[in-house]
Amino acid sequence: MSEPVVVAESLNVRFADQCVLDDVGFTVNRGEVFALLGGNGAGKSTTLKTFLGTVAPTSGSASVLGHSVTSDSDFIRSKVAYLPESVMLYGHLTGMENIEYFLSLADVKRSASDIEAALKRVALQADTWHKKLADYSKGMRQKTAIALALLRSAPVLFLDEPTSGLDPSAIDEFNQLVTALSEAGSTVFMVTHDVYGACQVAHRIGLLDQGKIVGVFERNGNELIDTEQVHTAFAKRNA
Amino acid sequence: MSIIKSVMFDEWRYWRRTKVATTVILIGIALALASVIVNSIEVRQASAERTELQRISEQTFFDQPDRHPHRMVHYGHYVFRTPSPLSIIEPGVDAFTGTAMFLEGHQQNTAMFSEQRQSSGLTRFSSLSPAFMLQVLVPLMLILVGYSCVTREREAGTLHVMITQGVKVRDILAGKFFSLAGSGMLMLAPLAIASLWAGVHGESLAITASFVLGYVVYILVWSAIVLWGSTISSRSNASFAILIALWVVLCILVPRIASTTAASLEPSPGKLETDFSVVEELRALGDGHNASDPAYEKLKQDLLSQYGVDDVADLPMNFRGVVLTYSEKKLTDVLNKYAEARMDEELSQAEIARQFGWLSPMVSMRTFSMMIAGTNLENHHRFLREAEDLRFDFVQALNHAHEHDLDYHTDINRYVNDDTAKAARVDASHWQVLSSFDFAPESAQFRLSHSLRYALQLLLWAGLMLALIKRASRGVM
Amino acid sequence: MLFADFYREMRFLSKQRYIVLFLSAVFALSAFAVWSGLHETKLQQATIERLLEKDSVDRENVLAGQGDYGSAAYYSFHVTYSEPSSLAFAAMGQRDTFPWKHRIRMLALEGQIYETDAENPELSLFGRFDFAFIVSVLLPIFVILLLHDLRSGEKEAGRYDLLVASAKKQHKLWLSRALVITTGLALAMLVPLLVGAAITQAPLAKTVAMVLITLAHLLFWVVVTVIAGRMMLARGQNSPRIASALLGVWLLATVIVPVVSDTLINQSITGPNGGEVVLTQREAVNGAWDQPYSVTWDEFLKTHPEWADYTDMESSFDWKWYYGFQQAGDQHAAELSKAYRDTIVRKDVAAGKASLMSPAMLTQRLMSSLASTDISASLAYEQDVRDFHASLRQFYYPLLFKGGEFELEQLADMPLYQQRLSN
Repeated sequence: MSEPVVVAESLNVRFADQCVLDDVGFTVNRGEVFALLGGNGAGKSTTLKTFLGTVAPTSGSASVLGHSVTSDSDFIRSKVAYLPESVMLYGHLTGMENIEYFLSLADVKRSASDIEAALKRVALQADTWHKKLADYSKGMRQKTAIALALLRSAPVLFLDEPTSGLDPSAIDEFNQLVTALSEAGSTVFMVTHDVYGACQVAHRIGLLDQGKIVGVFERNGNELIDTEQVHTAFAKRNA
Repeated sequence: MSIIKSVMFDEWRYWRRTKVATTVILIGIALALASVIVNSIEVRQASAERTELQRISEQTFFDQPDRHPHRMVHYGHYVFRTPSPLSIIEPGVDAFTGTAMFLEGHQQNTAMFSEQRQSSGLTRFSSLSPAFMLQVLVPLMLILVGYSCVTREREAGTLHVMITQGVKVRDILAGKFFSLAGSGMLMLAPLAIASLWAGVHGESLAITASFVLGYVVYILVWSAIVLWGSTISSRSNASFAILIALWVVLCILVPRIASTTAASLEPSPGKLETDFSVVEELRALGDGHNASDPAYEKLKQDLLSQYGVDDVADLPMNFRGVVLTYSEKKLTDVLNKYAEARMDEELSQAEIARQFGWLSPMVSMRTFSMMIAGTNLENHHRFLREAEDLRFDFVQALNHAHEHDLDYHTDINRYVNDDTAKAARVDASHWQVLSSFDFAPESAQFRLSHSLRYALQLLLWAGLMLALIKRASRGVM
Repeated sequence: MLFADFYREMRFLSKQRYIVLFLSAVFALSAFAVWSGLHETKLQQATIERLLEKDSVDRENVLAGQGDYGSAAYYSFHVTYSEPSSLAFAAMGQRDTFPWKHRIRMLALEGQIYETDAENPELSLFGRFDFAFIVSVLLPIFVILLLHDLRSGEKEAGRYDLLVASAKKQHKLWLSRALVITTGLALAMLVPLLVGAAITQAPLAKTVAMVLITLAHLLFWVVVTVIAGRMMLARGQNSPRIASALLGVWLLATVIVPVVSDTLINQSITGPNGGEVVLTQREAVNGAWDQPYSVTWDEFLKTHPEWADYTDMESSFDWKWYYGFQQAGDQHAAELSKAYRDTIVRKDVAAGKASLMSPAMLTQRLMSSLASTDISASLAYEQDVRDFHASLRQFYYPLLFKGGEFELEQLADMPLYQQRLSN
C-alpha cells in the first residue's frame, strides 16, 4: 500500500573539501508528510536543493516518483510545487499577475476563478489581490506562494521552513492546509527547524545533524509525534 | 577625524582582502603609466623630428642659388608645428590637425598630413593618451572599485549598527569619499610626474600646477559621483547599474552628442567653398604678375606723378616689384578676412560643443585640459596665424628685393634668351630674409585666463556633487 | 512552443519599467545617430552640388577671358569629390579626416592632392555619434547591463529556486528571456537604421549586410554575457562582479587591443613621411627653372614619347615646357608617393588583421567598408582624382604641343570629373 514518492539513498554532497551531506537516506510515501528537522547548517537546504536539481549530488541517488534528480529534473519539476523559505516574487507585478506568470512558466492553465478560489483558500484578503507585490507583507507573500503551490496541483510539495515568520494564527491555518492536502493524497516533504510545527503536521520526522540522519520519529497511530521526545533529541544534538 | 580615518582604512582593508578593487586599481595605474611613457616617447620623437625638418627646410631655402626673386616667392617654404610640452599628457587636437604647412606667394595652403590620416584608423574611439585614460577610464575604474562602498554596509546591516552606535553619517561618507579619492590619486600619480617633467622642459609652474589641480578636482568629482550613486541605492546591483549608466552617458555619449550637435547647428561650408568667393574678390584685385593689369592703373599714375616721370621704366624702382608688393598686400588682406571668418566659424562650433561641459564633467575637463596644455583649437589657429605672418613677411621681403635690387629693364627682358634670363637674378644673400619659425603655444597667462570658464564648469560639478551627497546623506537611514 | 515562452517573457518584461526605459533610450540614441548621419549626408551632398554649380560657372568665366591654352589650363580649376554613399549616414568612418573634395588644376598633382579641407579638428577629436559607433562601442555595454544578471539577479532577489522549481524547462526560461531582451535591443537599434536606409534608398543587399553585422555583434555579446553570467554565478560571484568582469572584456576589446595594435602597427610599418613626397615634388618642379630644358624634356618624354618632335620652343618660356616640368615633377615624386600610399594600405591591412581580435573594431571596419567610408574607399577616390588629372593632361597636351590659335570651342570636349565608385 505504501508507494515511495520521494527517495534518498546514500546521498553524499561535497563542496570543495567540506562534506555537507553524509550518507543520507529516507523515503516519503504517497500521502505522507515528512519533516527533515535540523539546526542551522545541518544540511536541510542542501537536501532540498538536491531534489530541486540546483545542487548536484556527489554520490548516491535522489529520486521523485521513480525519476532521478540528475537525469530527469525537468520531469520532477513538473510534479513538484516548491514553497521557498522567504518567498520572493516580482515586486513590479500584482499578486494575481505573479501567480499567472509562475503558472504559465510551469505550463499550467488555470482560470481566473480558480486562482481567486485558491487565494480565498489561503485567506489572502481580496482587496490586496491587485496590488503590487512590493507592498505585500511577508505573510501575504507567503500566502501568495502557497496559493501558487495549490494551483499547481502537483502531487508532491516541497516546503522550506514554511512557518518561519508567520504569526500564530497563520501557522495554525497553514498546518490545517498541509493536513488537508496530505489527506487529499499529496505527498509533502518539508525541511524545518521548528520542532513544534513539525510535530503538528508530520507523519514522520527525520533528525538531521551535520549532514547525517541521526534519528527518525514516527506517529503512533493517529497520535501526533511527541514534541517533548523530539525536542530532547534535537536539543542534545545542538547543545 | 579619527572616525573618518578608520572608515577610510577599513574600506582599504576590504579592497585588499577582496582583491577585485586592488586589481582594478593596479590595472588603472599600469594603464596610466604605460600611456604616459609611450606618449612621452612618441611626442619627443615627433618633436625632434619636426625641429630637424624645420631646420632642414630653412637651410634649403638659404642654400638656393642666385635667382629671380619672384622665383623664390613660388619656391616657398615649409613650417612644422612642434608639440607643446604638456602634449605628452594631453595631445588634444594635435593628432587631427596637419603638422606641416607649405608657405608660398599669393595663396594660403592648409596644414597637411595629420597623424590621424597616417595612422591605422584603429584609434577613433580610444587613444593611448594619458588624457583619455584619466578622463574616460579612471572614472570607470573608480566605479568598479567603489560602487558598493555604502550599499555593501547597508546590505550587511553594518551601516545600521554604526549609525545606531552614534557614528555620524557625515563621517562615514567622508571616510568612504577619501578612500575613493585616494585610489583615484594613485592613478593620477603618473600624470603628475609627467607634468613635472613637462615643467622641466619649459612649461611654466602656474600652468603645470593648474593642469594637475584640474585633474585632481576631476577625480574628486568622480569620487563624489560614485559615493553618491552608492548612497542613494538600496542595493549594490542598483548602484552598479546607475553608476555604469551615468558613466556611459557622461563620458561616452555627451561628448559625441556635443560634437554632432555642434556640427549640425553650425554647419561650416569648408575652405573649398569659400575659396570661390576668395577667387572672385581676388580677380577684382588684378593679377600681380601682370603689371599692365588695369587694376594697377591708379597705382601707376600716382607713382608717375610722384616722381614726375612719364614712363614706368623711368621710375627709380622696379615697377613690377611695386605691383607685386601692392597686390600681395591686398590679396593677403582678402585671404586673411576669409581665414579669420573660417577660424571664427570653427571656434563657434567648438564653443557649442564646449557648452556641453555644463552637462558632463568629462567635457569640461577635456576642454580645460586642452586649453591649459595648449593643444586646443585656439592653439591650432595660432599656428595658422603665425605661419601666415611668416609667409607674408618673407614674400614681401622678396618683393622688396624685386622692387629695389632688380632693374626694371633686365626684369622685363628676362625671357628673351638665356643671357637675359641669367641677368635677371639677384644675389642668394637675399634669401636670408626668411626668419626662423619657432612655434610655441599661447602664453601661460592667456591659457590660464581663457580656461577660467571651464575651471568654473568643473567647480560647479564639484559643488553640485557636494549638494547631492548632502541631500542623499539625510536619507541614509 | 518556444513562441509561447517568448510571448510570456515579452509580456513579463514589458511590465518592467527599467527594461522599457532602457530600450526606449537605446531607440532614442539610435534615432539621433541616424538622424544626424542623414543630416550630415545631406549637407555633404548639398555642398557637392553647390561646388559643382559654382565650379562650372567659374570655369566658363575664366576660360572666356583667356588668350592661349596654357593660361586656360593654368587658371581653370576642377572640382573633384566623393559623394557619400547611401549608407554613409550609418557609418561616417574616415570621412572627417580623409578629404572627399578637391579643386585641382593641371599643375603637378602631388602638390595638390594632399590638401585637406578637413573638418573642425576639435569636433573630430570628440568623434561623431553615428550608428556604427552605437553598434561597435555601446552595444556591448547595453548587452552587459541588460543581461549580466539574467540568473544572478534572480538569485540575489531570492527567486532563483522558485523559478527553477516552477519552470517546466529551465533553459527555456533563460533562453526566452535573453531572446526577448536581445530582440528588443535589436529592434531599438535597427528600426531607425532601416528607416534611414529607406529614406536614402540604400541597396537592399548592403542594408541587409549592415543588419547582419549588427546582429552578429549583438549575438556575440549576448552569448559571452550569458555564458559568463552562468559560469561566474556557479562560482558564487554576484551580479556586479559578473558585470565588472564583462566590462573588463569590453575594455580589452574596445580600448586595449586597438590601442596596442595601433602602436605596434605604427612602429613596425613605416614608410615615407607625407612631407617628403611634397618636398621632392617641389624641388623637382622649382629646380626645372634653373636646369637646361633638355632635363625636363628627357624626363617628360619617358612617359610621353609621342611628343618627341614637338619640343622646340620659340622663347625661353613656353607653356608646354611649363606643363612638361609639372609632369616631370610628378614623375620624380611618383615612387615616393606610391610608397606613401602603400604604407597607408599596409597599415590598413594590418589593422584589418588586428581587428579580428577586437569585435568592436571588426564591426566598425565592416560597416565603414559597406558604407564606402573606409580607407580603401578614400584611396579609391584619390585614384579617381589621379585618373581625372591624367585625362586632363591627355586633353591639353595636343592643344599645347601642336600649337594653333586659341579657340574656345576646342575646350568644349574638356573631360569632366566623374566618380567611379558608385553606391
